[in-house]
Amino acid sequence: MSQLPPVVIDNGTGYTKMGFAGNTDPQFVIPTVIGLPNQSRYGIASRRGIEDLDFHIGNEAVSNSKSYGLNYPIRHGQIDDWDHMERYWEQSIFKYMRCEPEDHYFLLTEPPLNAPENREQMAEIFFESFNVQGLYIAVQAVLALAASWTAKNSHQTLTGTVIDSGDGVTHVIPVAEGYVLGSSIKHIPIAGRDITAFVQQLLREHGESSIPPEDSLDVARKIKEQYSYTCHDMAKEFTKFDTDPVKYYKAFDAINSINQQSYRVDIGYERFLAPEVFFNPELVSSDFLTPLPEIVDNCIQVSPIDTRRGLYSNIVLSGGSTMFKDFGKRLQRDIKRIVDGRVQKSEELSGGRLQAKPIDVNVIAHKKQRHAVWFGGSIMACTDQFYQFSHTKAEYEEHGPSICRHNRVFESLA
Amino acid sequence: MPAYHSSFNETGDVRVINGIPLLPLASQVKGASYGSPIKYDAIDEALELFRPNSYFKNFEIKGNGDRLLIYVILFISQSLNKLKTTTTQSEAAKILHTLAVTNIVIPADAGFPLRSVYPQLNLADKMEGDQLRQYLQQVRLAVVQRLVPIVYSVNGQPSQTPSKWWLCFQKRHFMGKTMH
Repeated sequence: MSQLPPVVIDNGTGYTKMGFAGNTDPQFVIPTVIGLPNQSRYGIASRRGIEDLDFHIGNEAVSNSKSYGLNYPIRHGQIDDWDHMERYWEQSIFKYMRCEPEDHYFLLTEPPLNAPENREQMAEIFFESFNVQGLYIAVQAVLALAASWTAKNSHQTLTGTVIDSGDGVTHVIPVAEGYVLGSSIKHIPIAGRDITAFVQQLLREHGESSIPPEDSLDVARKIKEQYSYTCHDMAKEFTKFDTDPVKYYKAFDAINSINQQSYRVDIGYERFLAPEVFFNPELVSSDFLTPLPEIVDNCIQVSPIDTRRGLYSNIVLSGGSTMFKDFGKRLQRDIKRIVDGRVQKSEELSGGRLQAKPIDVNVIAHKKQRHAVWFGGSIMACTDQFYQFSHTKAEYEEHGPSICRHNRVFESLA
Repeated sequence: MPAYHSSFNETGDVRVINGIPLLPLASQVKGASYGSPIKYDAIDEALELFRPNSYFKNFEIKGNGDRLLIYVILFISQSLNKLKTTTTQSEAAKILHTLAVTNIVIPADAGFPLRSVYPQLNLADKMEGDQLRQYLQQVRLAVVQRLVPIVYSVNGQPSQTPSKWWLCFQKRHFMGKTMH
């Protein structure tokens, strides 16, 4: 019997990405939100008995938010409300993926440092409520590393530093041979949402009064996504705008969402100032001031000494906020500068007696960065190893949920 | 990468009063350093660094060049705040000229927001204060003279109203300070 493709579901704090393994993009990307009916509506006698079916997930929950209260079952990457999450998965599988869970293997994701108890809980829900054939729970950062294997300059190893920047928070996660170095993980409280807010503020400052207030955030987000690029040097970039204004200043045509009239927004310095936020957090924050390259360097320096070269040579980007043009190049240059500075200093201190082997710094950007975790899962679930390493229904029934506490790491693509 | 510093921090034997080095200017304004042969001076630098530095709140003073840079940036910011979207170029030149020559604040004055981080001026020596005031007036006039044509140009063409790409810095304050 030919196997049906495994189902890959990546539940993030903001969005859930789901689809069948073997595809290059998830079939569905929907907000991780569940809409449950407001208490008052339970009075209707005719509805009694089917209350538990009366809920929406994703975009439908958002559009019905008047009569359904919104709940976010995942907080800071971790599942917060298991009951809501179970119902969320129920609709994800039956209403969105439209598959019979009995016929498929499932690959789920978990954040780094997730408690094994959470894995047990996941296993219980998937094997007992949904009766799936097999289950594998992968760490998001490891999948992001696997996703980078498609890049040209990739090393195809499971050792590397993952920079994962979504909407809410940015993580720097070192991974050695498929295992996350939990003690060295760093967080940066700056991500997509802060950049959008910064662009919005800059637009206001140069007096774009034609933007209606209710569209303001959306316009800022579109400008950020479509026009931003990473520059080499802020001061020089301003001069470039002066010398070639026609090339650098842009205009964005938008349509008012209420009266459908079109209007024009001028775009100036926000084009390069938006991504600059990662390299100069001072632009948006008064308490967090450490630039991203410095955080990455710190993170690698506190990792075990024998992993450091590997971590420097394979720095992988993941998440929508790393998609800025030339973001990887700038990051690589800045990290290289820090590393070379340190090597040079130690050579000077040794009085020229010690000659260090230069450290190779490599930032890998690829085309699948936006949904890197899901894409990595899609690749992994296509390998033969996936079926070997997944926990099957039979094993679950033999040993109980505790077998899902541990998931073996994949060795390679081959 | 923190805020940008002045390249004039290491300029040997220049007279320094109240932390401000009396650097020669490439200026057409009559005064202490009239007619010097320099092409690129501290004012050009400050006009260049004004925009990037306006986004920064923290700045470490590394030398006297930085002290002059701060002064000029604060003055540029003060000048921009005198302009409205409807001010014409000739009006602006007039307003800013008046601003440049009246009420010249030196770092030792109460009106200067960073008074405490500049070296003290020997108050007994009134001569020094007056010399600094004279030098700063020349600086301020030179700033205004160069700033107005820059602000009144859009896409390389002279324009009737100030460029919005400069007026957008009215609400940004370098180091969170303003000069009154």
